[in-house]
Amino acid sequence: MFDYQFLIEVLVGGLLSGVMYSLVAIGFVLIYKTSGVLNFAQGAMLLFAALTFVSLVERGTPFALALLATLAIMVLLGITIERTVLRPLINQPPITLFMATLGLSYVIEGAAQLLWGTQVHGLEIGVSDIPFDIGGVFISRFDLFAAGVAGSLVALFTLFFRYTRTGLAFRAVADDQFAALAVGLRLPRVWAAVWTAAGIVALVAGLLWGARLGVQFSLSLVVLKALPVLVLGGFDSITGAIVGGLLIGAIEKLAEVYVGPFFGGGIEAWAAYVVALALLLVRPSGLFGQKLVERV
Amino acid sequence: MLLSGLTTPLDVLALETWAPGTARQVLAAEPSGASAPVADGARAVLRLANISLSFGGLAALRDIDLDVAEGEIRAVIGPNGAGKSSLLNVVSGLYRPDQGEVWFGDHAFRQVPTAQLARHGVARTFQNLALFKGLSVFDNVLMGLAHRVRAGFIRQVVGTPLARRIEAENRAAAEDVIGFLHLQEVRDRIAGTLPYGLQKRVELARALVARPRLLLLDEPFAGVTLSEKQELAQHVRGARDCYGTTIVLIEHDIGIVMDLSDHIAVLDYGRKIADGPPAEIRANQAVIDAYLGVAHEDETELAI
Amino acid sequence: MTVITETASAPARSTWLTANVAGLVLLLLLGYGLVPLIGSDYLMDAVLTPFLALALAAVGLNVLTGYAGQVSLGSAAFLAVGAYAAYNLNLRLPGLPLLANLVLAGGIAAAVGIVFGLPSLRLRGFYLAVSTLAAQFFVQWALTKFGWFSNDNASGVIDAPVIRIGSLTFSSATGRYVFSLTTVAIATALTARLLASQTGRNFIAVRDHEVAAKVIGVPLLRTKLLAFGVSSFLIGVAGVLWAFAYLRTVEPAGFNLDRSFQILFIIIIGGLASLRGAFIGAAFIVVFPLLLSRLGAAVLGSLFDSGVLEMSQRIVIGALIIAFLIAEPRGLVALIDRAVAATRRFRSTRS
Repeated sequence: MFDYQFLIEVLVGGLLSGVMYSLVAIGFVLIYKTSGVLNFAQGAMLLFAALTFVSLVERGTPFALALLATLAIMVLLGITIERTVLRPLINQPPITLFMATLGLSYVIEGAAQLLWGTQVHGLEIGVSDIPFDIGGVFISRFDLFAAGVAGSLVALFTLFFRYTRTGLAFRAVADDQFAALAVGLRLPRVWAAVWTAAGIVALVAGLLWGARLGVQFSLSLVVLKALPVLVLGGFDSITGAIVGGLLIGAIEKLAEVYVGPFFGGGIEAWAAYVVALALLLVRPSGLFGQKLVERV
Repeated sequence: MLLSGLTTPLDVLALETWAPGTARQVLAAEPSGASAPVADGARAVLRLANISLSFGGLAALRDIDLDVAEGEIRAVIGPNGAGKSSLLNVVSGLYRPDQGEVWFGDHAFRQVPTAQLARHGVARTFQNLALFKGLSVFDNVLMGLAHRVRAGFIRQVVGTPLARRIEAENRAAAEDVIGFLHLQEVRDRIAGTLPYGLQKRVELARALVARPRLLLLDEPFAGVTLSEKQELAQHVRGARDCYGTTIVLIEHDIGIVMDLSDHIAVLDYGRKIADGPPAEIRANQAVIDAYLGVAHEDETELAI
Repeated sequence: MTVITETASAPARSTWLTANVAGLVLLLLLGYGLVPLIGSDYLMDAVLTPFLALALAAVGLNVLTGYAGQVSLGSAAFLAVGAYAAYNLNLRLPGLPLLANLVLAGGIAAAVGIVFGLPSLRLRGFYLAVSTLAAQFFVQWALTKFGWFSNDNASGVIDAPVIRIGSLTFSSATGRYVFSLTTVAIATALTARLLASQTGRNFIAVRDHEVAAKVIGVPLLRTKLLAFGVSSFLIGVAGVLWAFAYLRTVEPAGFNLDRSFQILFIIIIGGLASLRGAFIGAAFIVVFPLLLSRLGAAVLGSLFDSGVLEMSQRIVIGALIIAFLIAEPRGLVALIDRAVAATRRFRSTRS
């Protein structure tokens, strides 16, 4: 007899971990929408943020102060990246920019570990991982908390982009860079804002992922989990990032539990990619991505 | 100013009712200027039959008919957004029309298979240069014969007699066109490093090297200097005279089109509103008022 | 408007083949004559053999990314396929001569490459780059998961056999170096011929303007898959060298994403769409850490431990990638060409 309760438990677990993927993916989308860059260094930024925060706390900095300091550092980092890497590469083909962010990820990872060391840090953010029992289905308290944080972050960004001048500028730039330039928007300022936002996302995601996995180098590999999410949802859609994250989270867990045994397990590493690829062959710009008409 | 003429639906309607029938009659009855043979429906190198194309709800082309006779230079003009480029993209198979057929000689297509274009003797250039920027001028021209290379890659690496013969033939043909278009001096330069006007000429050479029966030129004179324009026009005419290539060109530079073409078709809002020899188009007050003056002014700025 | 793809492939081809034939002969003389004579085992074992294997892998990736314009992040997967294919061919077909084994292993890598190249027919740019990651993860997973590939070793580790051609064995450091050099020289020469043929022009045409290439009659499907096939073939052969001539004991974890990035970095730093660039970049990637560790030790003393070395290496490599993309997208090879041209000019003005 098929165990539906177990199925639901796996599904819910998958969806909740999918929220964590979405969180990383949103950082990508913010930057992609405004500057057309697939920022591979997002994972490195996440590692940098988490490592900085943990190291500050371990050195006796109060929690709130450490959070603020890390935030400031991430903002600074974002602005520096925009100045030193992206601005000189303006008007280059997207794939060049992508390779530049690949280099960037090496620099940030190296710097983070050179500064704070390579050992694994535990990160305690005060949420226990005791599962709730809801009608016989066990749901992780931590996962719920993470989903809540991710949800409020998305809500916050939505409000920001809808009701502030910078947000308006962001949407204008995302819509049409040239037109935005023509009406006098200062692109660098918008980019700086976007990189700041990406830094904040990196911090939040870094803390959540760090609390779950421990703060260590492999944290920056979370980026590899976010890529199929982006492919699935489309690089330029925040909705896509959220839906894609949930889908990938659910598919991964379901595949691992129900399909994995046939392959001897461990298919989590590539199942997401296969699903994303299969979708791409049908819809080359993802579920929610913009379709571009090619002009010749 | 002049634009007001074409915004009233009445006028468009009037023009439309005037155009397709009469123009075709003129075309069929009159011997065309220059050296082109009489336009004869049966021997049309290119024929568009009732082509319509829309993007979303937006109609780009409506019920276009066009016959291009062998050996003629046919210009298609019209203001921005008239559907000129869409027309060329339909002919080269990049767009699939909602209805209608494209004929190359005796072959009819609902959608032209782009990959087979060269084999049907059709070549084209692009509005915004489409050279292979990393290849030398010579290699760019040689690429125009890519479809003739029947030897597989292993034969090419080994250098079998077949592969060597094809390569030698193609090189000779490329040298020939390079001489014809006076590109010898830049023969070994990387195409991407050349000035714009020269790049346009290289693109023409690449299209001509296969000696196409039909050559489609997408705004060949856009963005080049006056002297380069005259030079290019010479080359276009030379291509027809020496290679016997039939040429369809899209252009907004009216002066050049008048001198160069045997027939001119006028598009507006996706409709063909006139089609006839230059003298007739020139004399048609409505066409001149509605399109020529306006198109010339606002497009030259945007062309670059 | 420096598009990364508009690298100077054509002059690289037309000028260096004619003008530098002498230099090429000199290099081969050096490689076959002087190095085995006076080079130490360390030099050949730890520097030159990995350099050759990486250079060949970079030549392979350059065919795909530099020439044909299809970015791949999965090179290490094809290295692994080559290595494990050669191992299994040797194990399961005992009579098979090593050279046939080498070519077959390359062929298997090519077949896998073509399968993973199929998405390139519909995907471009990032989407394609991300899809090549699938190859990376899938291959690494399969090699670890299925014991058959490693003859049932628990962690997928394989021990390479001794390289033997006829009655000759290449087991010493010198022998393995000479074997690698010969393989790489032949493979590179064949690649150079391919790139100079119509196929090579088709690659660049697809990279520079896909629509125009299609209109002209370049078979897009075949050209792209051929690029994937040839590229994976070369990388597969490089994988055999990596496993059989260099490390001799390899595990799937050694062919990780970092290795893929390393090969990509070699061609960015060395020069995209340039065979010389692949070699110059590989030389740089191999020699640079050695130099850095000497330098670090000299400046910082004992503070400069292996951890610090690894991290500072990451930082410098990453920074170099960015610097090259900004300042000289054509890589080291362009810098060298310019330096040579400048000295020539200097000399001619002096005389």
